[in-house]
Amino acid sequence: MNHPNRRAFLADFGMGFTGLTLGAMLAEDGITKAADPSAVTPHLPPRAKSVIWVFLSGGYSHVETFDPKPALNQYAGMTFDKTPFENPLKSPLHNKRFRSVLAEEINIRDVYPTIYPMQVGWRKHGDSGIEMTDWWPHLAGQVDELCFVRNMWTTDNDHAAENQIHTGRHRLDEQQPSLGAWAHYGLGTLNENLPKFAVLGGPTRSDTRLSIDSLYLGPQHAGVPLALDPKNPLPFGQRHANQSLDEQRNEYDLINKLNLLTAVEYPEDQELQARIRAYELAFRMQAAVPEAIDFSQETEATNKLYGIDSEATKPAGQHLLAARRLVERGVRFVQVFPTRYGSWDSHQKLKENHTRLCATIDRPVAGLIQDLKQRGLLDDTLVVFCTEFGRTPGLELRGGGKDGRDHHPNGFTIWMAGAGLKKGYVHGATDELGYHALGEGHYVTDLHATVLHLLGLNNRRLHIPGRKRLEIDDGRVIDDILA
Amino acid sequence: MFHSRTLLASGVIGSWLALTATAAEPVDYLREIKPILKERCFACHGALKQQSKLRLDTGASIRQGGDSGPAVVGGKQASNPLIERITSNDASIRMPSEGKPLTAEQIALIKTWIEQGALSPDNEQPEQDPREHWAFKKPVRPAVPEISNSKSQISNLNSDLQNAVDAFVLEKLAERDLTSRPRAEKHVLLRRVYLDLIGLPPTREELQAFLADDSPSAYETVVDRLLRDPRYGERWARHWMDLWRYSDWYGRRHVPDVWNSAPQIWRWRDWIVRSLNADHGYDRMIREMLAADEVCPEDDDAAVATGYLIRNWYALNPNDSMRSTVEHTGKAFLGLTFNCAHCHDHKYDPISQDDYFRLRAFFEPISIRQDRVPGEADPGPFEEYSYGKLRKIQRLGAVRIFDKTPDAPTWFYTGGDERNRVKDRGSIPPGVPQFLSGAGFQLASVSSPDTTIPLPTRAFYPGLKPAIIESLLNDARTAITTTEAELVAASLIVEQRSTRLAAAAAKLLAVRSELVSLEARIAADRAKFGETPNADVPALARTASRLEREAAVRRAESNVLTHENAIAIAEAKPTTDMNRAKEADAATKALAAAKPILEKARAATNDATSETYSPLGPTYPKTSTGRRKMLAEWITHRDNPLTARVAVNHIWSHHFHQPLVSTVTDFGRNGAKPTHPELLDWLAVEFMDSGWSMKHLHRLIVTSTAYRRVSSVGWDSIPTSSAAATTSNAPTGRDGIPTYAADPENKLLWRMNTGRMEAEVVRDSLLYTAGKLDPKIGGQELENNEALTTFRRSLYYSVFPEQGGKSAMGELFDAPDALECYRRSRSIVPQQALALTNSDLVHQLSTALAADSTETDDKQFVIACFERILTRTPSARELEICLEALTKPATAPRASLVRALLNHNDFVTIR
Repeated sequence: MNHPNRRAFLADFGMGFTGLTLGAMLAEDGITKAADPSAVTPHLPPRAKSVIWVFLSGGYSHVETFDPKPALNQYAGMTFDKTPFENPLKSPLHNKRFRSVLAEEINIRDVYPTIYPMQVGWRKHGDSGIEMTDWWPHLAGQVDELCFVRNMWTTDNDHAAENQIHTGRHRLDEQQPSLGAWAHYGLGTLNENLPKFAVLGGPTRSDTRLSIDSLYLGPQHAGVPLALDPKNPLPFGQRHANQSLDEQRNEYDLINKLNLLTAVEYPEDQELQARIRAYELAFRMQAAVPEAIDFSQETEATNKLYGIDSEATKPAGQHLLAARRLVERGVRFVQVFPTRYGSWDSHQKLKENHTRLCATIDRPVAGLIQDLKQRGLLDDTLVVFCTEFGRTPGLELRGGGKDGRDHHPNGFTIWMAGAGLKKGYVHGATDELGYHALGEGHYVTDLHATVLHLLGLNNRRLHIPGRKRLEIDDGRVIDDILA
Repeated sequence: MFHSRTLLASGVIGSWLALTATAAEPVDYLREIKPILKERCFACHGALKQQSKLRLDTGASIRQGGDSGPAVVGGKQASNPLIERITSNDASIRMPSEGKPLTAEQIALIKTWIEQGALSPDNEQPEQDPREHWAFKKPVRPAVPEISNSKSQISNLNSDLQNAVDAFVLEKLAERDLTSRPRAEKHVLLRRVYLDLIGLPPTREELQAFLADDSPSAYETVVDRLLRDPRYGERWARHWMDLWRYSDWYGRRHVPDVWNSAPQIWRWRDWIVRSLNADHGYDRMIREMLAADEVCPEDDDAAVATGYLIRNWYALNPNDSMRSTVEHTGKAFLGLTFNCAHCHDHKYDPISQDDYFRLRAFFEPISIRQDRVPGEADPGPFEEYSYGKLRKIQRLGAVRIFDKTPDAPTWFYTGGDERNRVKDRGSIPPGVPQFLSGAGFQLASVSSPDTTIPLPTRAFYPGLKPAIIESLLNDARTAITTTEAELVAASLIVEQRSTRLAAAAAKLLAVRSELVSLEARIAADRAKFGETPNADVPALARTASRLEREAAVRRAESNVLTHENAIAIAEAKPTTDMNRAKEADAATKALAAAKPILEKARAATNDATSETYSPLGPTYPKTSTGRRKMLAEWITHRDNPLTARVAVNHIWSHHFHQPLVSTVTDFGRNGAKPTHPELLDWLAVEFMDSGWSMKHLHRLIVTSTAYRRVSSVGWDSIPTSSAAATTSNAPTGRDGIPTYAADPENKLLWRMNTGRMEAEVVRDSLLYTAGKLDPKIGGQELENNEALTTFRRSLYYSVFPEQGGKSAMGELFDAPDALECYRRSRSIVPQQALALTNSDLVHQLSTALAADSTETDDKQFVIACFERILTRTPSARELEICLEALTKPATAPRASLVRALLNHNDFVTIR
């Protein structure tokens, strides 16, 4: 690194960093991690600037949302072996894509071979003629913008799969940083006054922290949970009540002056220089973060679009509107948990549960797509809509069950929309009964590889020396869905 | 060769042609070919293994080949099995057999190299025998280098050469002709060593006293005092808790449901603090953590050390606990990545997949027990996991490891998935890797029965411990006192006096006979286990049996009378009372249930010959396998090449903010080389010779001159575009190359490194500086969401790897990840600034600190604040700036100034 001489150095500080670029000062060195350099060279030409990752916790039923299966109605009440199709329980795929966290000795989870009919009707929609169930009246209107992947699979048959879809690792394997953290690690900032990786509505519980965690990448790459409260959106983000803005500015001034004097004594101390910079950022962040989640300037039409005008749709609507405002301001990765932990988990009363939940998210998420589109943001924003696994085509019998489905890692559906993707497109399928993802299918890391690819990052190059990545961590980009 | 390849192949041909077309110049084997082979082929065809008798670690051995003849024949037309294997479409033939195929570019390079004759240097050495790897040979104390003035640019030999540490450091600097920086000023050194040894800055008074002490040993006096300070144990415990993955209970905190670790795990943390303060040897600490129940089975203070193993406990799947134990025992104590041998043989070190399971087998029999703590209520037995049932937060008792299932099989499995058991291999016996069991350092045969450890009675039957007996007797006596008081209280009530008195009197009879029964059971048990000489064991047993049955009758009688009394009280209520019928009904039912019990108890008293009575507590297996003791002894054996080196490296790293071996958990062949190998070895041997005394090592390191140097590089050492700027005062080598340019990362320690307070030290120092830190030592953890409103030291607040597992401050200042933290990260993010300027805590503390000052004069106030917060006086310019700041309009200008100093870079920075 080329160091300035003393005079030039002092002059630069006097003029507020004019002569030094942050990236040059802050080469990441050893375990010392400074604030992120703003200029990062992507691995490949990026198609998306930002991602809005919408996660629905609990596992929505793929067959009752985006992958309807008429055969379930036709053979309702029969066991799999009585249908003309190959018995999915006999397929070798079954064990490959199904690993219980519980030790074999205590695992009591059964498989359910009796076919349970679809609990909702379905139709083809839009010019693309893609099938969706009747629980999505608003989203169906946007179907020609969406790109479905119907042959997803994961391996955990319990809710640690929520972490798995974010980290790519089964609970029993060594844990990995979450997708958002990798994106944060690999991407430059577009707005240094805001966190690059923001989390809304989550993590939903103490044990889902892994879904936003950065682990060995270092805590600065972890998701920053923001509260939807413009008065206090992030910890310590609000000026203390005892202090006026002027007083605080004077205090920051004093800190800055004293640190600059120390910088003269320790000219090589890059951490000191980064700290001076961090204080400048902090002062601005205090204003920028509350502004980003302050909806007071939004129009009534926008509020309506997101369903903020109705009690049922208001929570999801607010989260998704906040997500739009954040990506508009340059946040790279917004992870949204619009519904509560496990809410989609429908072991019983699936119909009642999904009817209610779909009604809370359908209008907001359709509104998000429309809004991004009308603002021209959909061209460089990627929206991902996903859950941790699907639900069994068979009726769950545990506890005398008669109207629900169990967890189903062997096949499920997610959709994406926006930057760099085909529109009104379906990729992949499950078998006639909705049991197995057909072909190779896509393990969750294929989704990661695709998201990173669209952001201009090659997942295979996001490796940290000494940190083992399994073959399964290196997902393959789902080329077929790229525009 | 490419004829069968498809679209991708045309790309291969294309790039190959492109490369060969431009590659008129010869391919450099050492620079371009060997690194590819090393990364992808050496693991199976090198020093570690020679599959098919083929080695690819020298050009000569490549040309010579293995079982199938030469791997490579140089020249254009020759047939080359190597190329065929690396380009095959058949995955069962293609090499490397694991992982991705070689890239087209790599293949093209190898082809070109072959075409050009497959040349390699004649003097090329094969890969070193893995057993010869530096860290796998036991450290031998090297001679301390002779350092003289002539050897380097040492201006003041006496002050530069404080002890052997300096000799090794100066030797390296001299080799490179580098100049070291001078000693730091006294105030800098004082702050440094305080934060280092006790994790808190010196007070203003301590600063002034040290500055006033002109004796030559002033600094050593401070060091000795700090090492005796109990806050040393608290400070350094946190370092070791990082390595040993300390975590409070977790799993599903929000429910709550305990899946991981244990709610009583804090007792292990307190053991760490105690052991460090007592300077117990590191070897002893390892033995107690792995096997206190076998090494010192009657020592309850040591038993909680096995919290090290309990921390890995995962209720849902013991395989997961075992994986954590194997991985982290390897990393923390041995600096070996055993986890890499989970799915296949280690790629770099001679650790086979079998070795992985052999290490696991040491731990296979373990389980957790929950012992009553004297003076506390009995927690009952440890609650095992049962599907669908919540495990409650049990705060009572102490948890400890014991061998529950001596014959528990260790199954070999493949692919890292325990479902793929290879059952026909049978159970894998415990053992250690062969390369680490050299002569004089053999693990005793672990399968022989003589390794089984018979446990003392009080270890497998803890009810017989005097303190537990005392607790039982106390419980019984307290019951009597309470019941006597109840009887008096009952006598004062007029209503239903007779039934009340009858019930209370019967209860008193019951508790009194329970004490008598207890005393008899204690006497019988003591006799039974040989603690009373010449006792008539059967007679005592008969007495105990009889008295216990009699007590049961008294208790049953008491219950009957209690329910009758309850009926009487209920029936005396007015019929309009809503509860009357309900209470009477409940009591009547209870009475109906109690009567047959009484009948049964009475009937049971008829048997005069019975010797059966209840034990004083649970009984555990009378022996332990001795496996973990053996492992611990092997790990702490003097000839183990790794243990002492790994520990010394960690300790060094905390003092210098930089380890000697940068890969602290990997001392294997893929790990980094030490910057100062002789120093590391010398310290390792010195450490063992001192009885593995950490305090000895600390003293040695912090009294070295290397530790006492300034951390600044000095203005003139910064290279500039103008060479003229370099003055004679600059730290340069003899040939005029500035030291800074030669070693900018300070690997050779020509200056001190700058440190940053860890999250805990930031908070503790804020509180301490403001005089608010609560000095209480030890105890159950506090919830970390109270860390901003209560003022104990930070290590006493909960940490766990779940959301909410770090305090708000911890989250921002890089508190450890409780899953794994062998080195802390040091981030600098704006949120840290927000926390230190906006938090209510910092505002409270700065207000308190400002109010604490009696200085009326602003100048004196500023000086006092600098000394108190930054351990130094302000410079003239700093003073000027601060005085000016105090004149600006503000509600509380002094508090604001204090806050600015708490936010000063050099508050969190260790100079």
